[in-house]
Amino acid sequence: MSAPALARTERVETGAEVVPETGGRSDLPPGTPPLVALQGITKTFPGIVANDGVDLDVMPGEIHALLGENGAGKSTLMNVLTGIYRQDAGRIILDGYARDLSSPQAAIAAGIGMVHQHFKLVPAFTVAENVHLGWEETPWRASASVLEARTRALAERFSLKVRPDARVGDLSAGEQQRVEILRVLARAARILILDEPTAVLTPQEAQDLFRALRAFRANGNAVIFISHKLDEVIAIADRISVLRGGRKIATREAAGATERGLAALMVGHEITLRKVRPRRPGLPVSPEPVVAMEGISALDDRGLPALHDISLRLHGGEILGIAGVAGNGQRELSQVVTGMRPITAGVIRIDGRLAKPGDAAGFAGRGIGHIPEDRLRAGLAPSLSITDNAVLREYGGPPVGGFGLFRPWAAGRLARAIAAAAEVAVPSFEMPARNLSGGNQQRLVARRETRIAERVLVAAYPSRGLDVGAIETLLALIARLRDEGKAVLLFSEELSELIELSDRIAVLFNGRIMGTLPTAEADVETLGLMMGGQRQDRSGRAP
Amino acid sequence: MGWRLQRTPSAHRAAALTGRILAILAALACAGIVLAMTGRAPIAMGADFWDTATGSTAGLEDVGLLVTPLILTGIAVALTTRIGLWNIGGEGQFGIGALAAAAVGLHLDGPEPVMLLAMAAAAAVAGALWILVPTIARAYAGVNELITTLLLNFVAALLIAWVATGPWRDRTGGALAATLRVPYEMPPLGEAGHWGLPIAVAVAVVAAAALTFTRFGYETRVAGANPGAAVYAGIPVRARIVAVMLLSGAVAGMAGMIELAGTAHRLQGGISNNYGYLGIMVAVLARGSCLAVLATAALMATLLNAGIILSAQGLNTSAVLAVTGLILFFTAIGDELAHYKLVRRPAPTG
Ligand SMILES: Nc1ncnc2c1ncn2[C@@H]1O[C@H](COP(=O)(O)OP(=O)(O)OP(=O)(O)O)[C@@H](O)[C@H]1O
Ligand SMILES: [Mg+2]
Repeated sequence: MSAPALARTERVETGAEVVPETGGRSDLPPGTPPLVALQGITKTFPGIVANDGVDLDVMPGEIHALLGENGAGKSTLMNVLTGIYRQDAGRIILDGYARDLSSPQAAIAAGIGMVHQHFKLVPAFTVAENVHLGWEETPWRASASVLEARTRALAERFSLKVRPDARVGDLSAGEQQRVEILRVLARAARILILDEPTAVLTPQEAQDLFRALRAFRANGNAVIFISHKLDEVIAIADRISVLRGGRKIATREAAGATERGLAALMVGHEITLRKVRPRRPGLPVSPEPVVAMEGISALDDRGLPALHDISLRLHGGEILGIAGVAGNGQRELSQVVTGMRPITAGVIRIDGRLAKPGDAAGFAGRGIGHIPEDRLRAGLAPSLSITDNAVLREYGGPPVGGFGLFRPWAAGRLARAIAAAAEVAVPSFEMPARNLSGGNQQRLVARRETRIAERVLVAAYPSRGLDVGAIETLLALIARLRDEGKAVLLFSEELSELIELSDRIAVLFNGRIMGTLPTAEADVETLGLMMGGQRQDRSGRAP
Repeated sequence: MGWRLQRTPSAHRAAALTGRILAILAALACAGIVLAMTGRAPIAMGADFWDTATGSTAGLEDVGLLVTPLILTGIAVALTTRIGLWNIGGEGQFGIGALAAAAVGLHLDGPEPVMLLAMAAAAAVAGALWILVPTIARAYAGVNELITTLLLNFVAALLIAWVATGPWRDRTGGALAATLRVPYEMPPLGEAGHWGLPIAVAVAVVAAAALTFTRFGYETRVAGANPGAAVYAGIPVRARIVAVMLLSGAVAGMAGMIELAGTAHRLQGGISNNYGYLGIMVAVLARGSCLAVLATAALMATLLNAGIILSAQGLNTSAVLAVTGLILFFTAIGDELAHYKLVRRPAPTG
C-alpha cells in the first residue's frame, strides 16, 4: 500500500457515524468513506480549550467551509489536521484509515496541504525556488532554468498563473497566494486547507481563486475553506460547519443557507446585521483640515516612486475613504500619513502646523492612531507578551511611563482594560501575542489605536480577519470617532464598506489620486472606472 | 498504544531548564569517561576538587575571582541579545579595557579612589570605542556584527601583546612579558577577594532592572523582537542599537579594568584569558536573562576553578575549555530536544 512510512495506519471499524450521508453528493457511491474524518478532536492550551470534541467529515469532491467567531478554534483544528499541533484526544481518519500525523511532513505525505493566513514564502527567493524549497522531488544540483521549467509545467498542470522567475517579494498578495497553492498542489495534495484566503485578495483575485478551487474539486479532491465572509462561503462551499467556543455546533448544506442563519449559529443567538451608521444630521465638519497633504511624493521599500503629487485634505468629523486595487500606493500613503515613511516632495500639516515626515512618534504624539495593513509585520511584536504589545502606543506617558520608567504592573492593568474593551478573552497576559487567534490580534490592535486617535484614525483594512460581529463593533467605533469630530482615513478593498461609511471617497491608481467624490455621487461603476485609471473630480470638498 | 515524540512550536520553560541541567551533566559525564580512559580516576578527582573548592573560604574566594569577569562579559553579551544582536567581541573589549586602565594607572598619579574611578571610566570608554565601528556598520549599513566584533578581538590581542612586550614592558624585573605593576588596586574583600565581585553583581542586577523597569528597556525589547513594530511605534531603532552595543562594549571594558586592578595587576598578553568568549556561553546558558547570568557565570567559574585545582594532578587547563565546549554543544541539543514532548498515542475510542 502506498501509505507513507511516517504515518502509522490501521484500518478502522467504520461504524455508522464514520460513513455519513455523502455530503449531499449523489454522484458518490454509497459507502464512500470521507476523505477526512475528524472524530472527537480535543486540543487545550493553558487556560483555554481551543477544540472540544470536534467531529468533522469532508467528502471527496467537496468544498467544506469552516465558520466561527474569532478564537472559536478554526485555525487550531486545522493545525491539528496538518500535524502542527497534536490533539489531546480524538483521531484523524483519512480514507477510512486512522492516521497518526505527527508532523507537517507526515501530513504532506498523507496528501494534506495548508495555505496559512500569513504566507510562509521566502521573499528574497524566486517563485520557482519557493515552489521547490524543502521538497523531496527537487532535483539535486538543479539550475535556475531547470527549476523554472519545472515550475512552468506545474503551473500549467494546475492552471495557476505564476511567473516562475519573479521574486516573491515583488508579487501581489494574490500572486503570492497562487505560489503557496502551487507549492501545496505540487506535493500531490488531495486535501487543500485555506485559512482566510480571501482576506488579502482583490475581488478579481478571489474569483480567480474560486475558479482554481472548483477545478481542484472536480478531480475528486477536497478543500477546507476558512472565511469570515459569509456571502462568499455560501457561494463557494458545498457544506458549511460552524464552530463556537471550540465545539462544532452544526454542519449545513450551503444550498439554502442564509447569512443571517449562519451568523446566528456562530454567535449562538439571533443578531441584527445592522448595516447603516448614518451621520448624525447637522454633524459639523471642521472648517480647517486636520491633516493637509500638499504635493506628496514618496518611494516604496525598493526605492521606486510609489506616490506622485498627492494632495488630500482630511477634516475633523468626516470619514475619507481611499479606494483602489491593492498595490497602487495604499501602503505607502498610509505610512506617510502616520509618519512612518519619509517623503521626497510636498508638505504635511497637522492642525495647520508643519509635521516632520518620517517621525512616527511625533505623529502619534499629535493624536494620529494607525491600524496598519499588516499587523504581524508592523502592528505587533508577536514574540513579546500581550501586555508589551497592548501598551505599544502608551508606554511613554503615565501611568505606564514617565521619568524614563516602565511600570510593568501599570502596563498589565492597561493591557487588561484594552483586552476587555476589545472583547478578547486572554488566559494569560504573559503569553506571546502570536498565540492569540488572528482575529483577536486584529481586535487588540484596533482598540489600542482608537484609544490614541485623539485627532485622526488611519485605518488600513481594519476589518481584515474579524468575524461579522467584530466588524460591526469596529465600524460602529469608527463611526463614533467621526461623530466625536475626529478625522478618519479609511483604506478598504470593499467598495460596499467604503460607500456605507465614508463621507468622501478618493481613488488611488498607480500612486496618484484619480479624483475625490462625495459618497452620494459615488457609485460602484464610477469608482470602478477610476480604479482602472480614469480621472474624475467632482469638487472633492468636504461635505 | 504506545509513546511517541511530538515537536511543539515553543519549548516549555521547565523542559528548557531540565534540558540545560541534563546538558551540563552529560558534558561532565563525557569528560569523566575521557579521563577514565586516560587512566585517571574521575570520581576521586571530582571529590578532590569539591573538597578544595568548597571546603574553605579560600576556595570560594578563588571562584569569586573567576566569576567576576564572567558575570560582566556575560552581561555584555546578554545585553546585545535583547536587541537581537551578538557581541562576539567581548574578548577584545575586555583586553582594550584593561589596556586603557593600565595606561591611566601607569602614567597618571593621584589618590587611589580617584585613580580607580579614572581607570574604570577609561576602560568603559575604551571598550565602547572598540565596538564603535561594528556598531555603526551594523546600525547604518546592516553589516553583520558577528564577524566585525570577532575580527577586532585579534586586533586587540596583537595590540596588547605589543604594548606589554614593547613600549610598556617591565624592564626592571627581568623576563616578564608584562608591564610594570599598576600601583592602584581594587579594595580587598576577605582574604583574597576584592570589591570587583559585588560590583559585578550590582551591574547584573541594575541591568536586569533597567531592562524590565525602564522605558529604554521596553524599547530595546520591542526593537529586538520586531524592528517593523518599533518603527511603527516611533522607536528610534538605530539609536537603540547604538546605545545597547556601546553599553555592551563598556561593560566588557569595565570587566578588563576590574581584572587588571583586582587580580592581574599587570597588563600582559593573555589577560583576557578567554573571559570574553566564555561570556558568550554564560549568556547563552542564561538564555539572555541578566539575573540568570549570575548563576551560569558561577557555574562556569566553578568549572574553571576545577581545572586550576586539578592541574596539580597533571590536568591541562585546556581540558576545562573542552568541557565548557561540550556543555555548549549539549545545551544546543538540549534546547532542541526541549521542543519535544513524549505523548501517548491516543487510544482508539471506537
Ligand atoms: N499556541 C497557542 N497557545 C495558547 N493559546 C492558543 C495557541 N493557539 C491558539 N490559542 C488559543 O486558542 C483559541 C482558538 O484560536 P484559533 O487561532 O484556533 O481561533 P480561530 O477560530 O482561528 O480564530 P480567528 O477567526 O480569529 O482566526 C484562542 O483563544 C487562542 O488564543
Ligand atoms: Mg484563525
